[in-house]
Amino acid sequence: MEKSGRIRKGVSGKMKNESFNKIASGLRTYISFSRGKYSSIMLLFIVFTLLPLFIPSDLLASEDKDVLVLNSDASIYKYSLAQSELKAKIATPKGEIDLGSKWIDERKIKKMINEIDPCVIYCIGSKAYQMAYKLAEKKNIVFSLVINWRRHPIDKDTYGISNELLQGAQLMMYRYFFPDVNKIGILYNNKYSEEWFDIAVESAKDVGIRIVGKSISKPDKIESALKKLLPKVDALWLIPDPTVIYDIESVNKLFEQCQAAGKPIYTYDKAFVNLGATLIMSADIPTMIKQSAEIISGIQGNMEIEEKVQHPAGSHIILNMKKVEEYGLNLNIEALDSVNEIVR
Amino acid sequence: MSILKYNKSEVKKVYRKYQPLIAFCLLACVLLIIPNKTFSGNTYTIYFYNPETNINNFASLKTEFDQYLSNYGSFQFQPFSDRKSFEEFVVGRSDGVFLLSSWHFSQLKRKFQLDMQARLVGVLKGKATYKKILTAKNNIINIDSLKGKVVASSGSEDYTKKILMQMHGEENKDIVGSMKILTVPKDIDALMAVGYGMADSALTTERSLTKLAAINPKQYGFLMSLSKSEEILLPIIAAPAQSDEKIRLLIAIIEEMGTALDGKRKLKMLGVDGWKKVEELERVSLGK
Repeated sequence: MEKSGRIRKGVSGKMKNESFNKIASGLRTYISFSRGKYSSIMLLFIVFTLLPLFIPSDLLASEDKDVLVLNSDASIYKYSLAQSELKAKIATPKGEIDLGSKWIDERKIKKMINEIDPCVIYCIGSKAYQMAYKLAEKKNIVFSLVINWRRHPIDKDTYGISNELLQGAQLMMYRYFFPDVNKIGILYNNKYSEEWFDIAVESAKDVGIRIVGKSISKPDKIESALKKLLPKVDALWLIPDPTVIYDIESVNKLFEQCQAAGKPIYTYDKAFVNLGATLIMSADIPTMIKQSAEIISGIQGNMEIEEKVQHPAGSHIILNMKKVEEYGLNLNIEALDSVNEIVR
Repeated sequence: MSILKYNKSEVKKVYRKYQPLIAFCLLACVLLIIPNKTFSGNTYTIYFYNPETNINNFASLKTEFDQYLSNYGSFQFQPFSDRKSFEEFVVGRSDGVFLLSSWHFSQLKRKFQLDMQARLVGVLKGKATYKKILTAKNNIINIDSLKGKVVASSGSEDYTKKILMQMHGEENKDIVGSMKILTVPKDIDALMAVGYGMADSALTTERSLTKLAAINPKQYGFLMSLSKSEEILLPIIAAPAQSDEKIRLLIAIIEEMGTALDGKRKLKMLGVDGWKKVEELERVSLGK
């Protein structure tokens, strides 16, 4: 009896305890609410649950709009300049890959692309573009400093800034610098540059210049073609045609031939200064990067990019005064405010 | 005697030990005693910065101007690519003159209460002023159509927006604010950018537009002028109010540059073809 009585007592005590606990817990909850302890937690819960509904989706999405930079070779000055200029224009890229090292582990690069899952892959140079195109499926790619971009495969997610200045823009500057130059010769291969050449001929008419062209099929035809072309023109426009710019030896010979004929060469790359080019006009890298940054920000902001591959808007001009004096060219000194570098 | 002898040899020992240190201290004392001017005063400098044009041919400018100035003594040319560095550098400087835009000069004087005076102003085709002009493809008929559009300019973004604001007033603040400024190296690039579709509009000098009309009349025909600025003074040469003999000589050399072909060629790189003394009215417009 005693035992059962104790048990009974125990059961009823437990029951009493449970009901007491319930009442106490209810009271605590009531007191906590009334003191504002739970109400602030509830408020925070509601705010964090509902807040995203009121924030524009663009703002929330921007966190996921990372940029990955792929550089063909950061040890090359113009490529490293492009990278630093871009970093000054956009928020810090999520990743930067330099393909300049001799051995490239494609699997590692692909893994990095997958991990970062960037909104845009920004490619500096042809090698970087080819790599991104190969490894990053369905990603937005923005390229710059890609030589002859038309020779590369592109798809609907490809954007970029062409590395080549428009023919019309170059011809305008030739006319501005050397008002007496009326006939300019171009050596090219129909296979690679026919369309480019036709545009140049049309654009030249707008600035009162006549283009005289000579198409060659092989690099060994350069010498004989120049013999026929040079007497008919005031200057030669050396373009990035792979048959004409075949190797160092053929380019050297071309410069020697023009020098002997007293004909100045206008061209597109600083590398030709030492060979004796008179005027070099190339796309201005900082301007190209500003244009690229604008495209990147357009993609990040889900804006429509009207022109997927844009022409460079700025020019960089190198004038070789030694050659101007040697050939006795009539230089428009007003144009000197447009020169970026003078070679003496 | 023996103590004296011992002391002498000890002194010699100590002297030998500390000889390099003593020599260093003596040299340091001599350097401190000689006034700074004896060293810095040897070379006087033209300090250059201009936000009106995106001049980035600094290496060539320096070479060309250094070469020209060296004919007249120990003078040199020092261009700056960054506005902040230039401003920090010029404050309190008295070892040269400053080649800067008139707009920037007025700002600097106000900001730092500089005791500087404008001495010479650039001249181009006989005029000491120029106008900025906003042009666009002829399908854009007014500034309202340029909301959010790209404006190409050879000036810095800050400068371009300020000029656009001055040209269009408070009532168009939102439109100007929404414009995207594409900074290009030269005015002719800005005009070509509109012609070839890389920009919707260009802010350039009136003279650059005239140049375009002469080089490519067809492209010029596609452009339409939307607005013009007031007359703006060309770049100026400013010097500390209390100038010494060497600064006066440097100013005289600069003033004469436009009279010789070689000097004129160098000045063309800066977009002027000579200098003239600042007149009272011009001084007033610069804020004295």
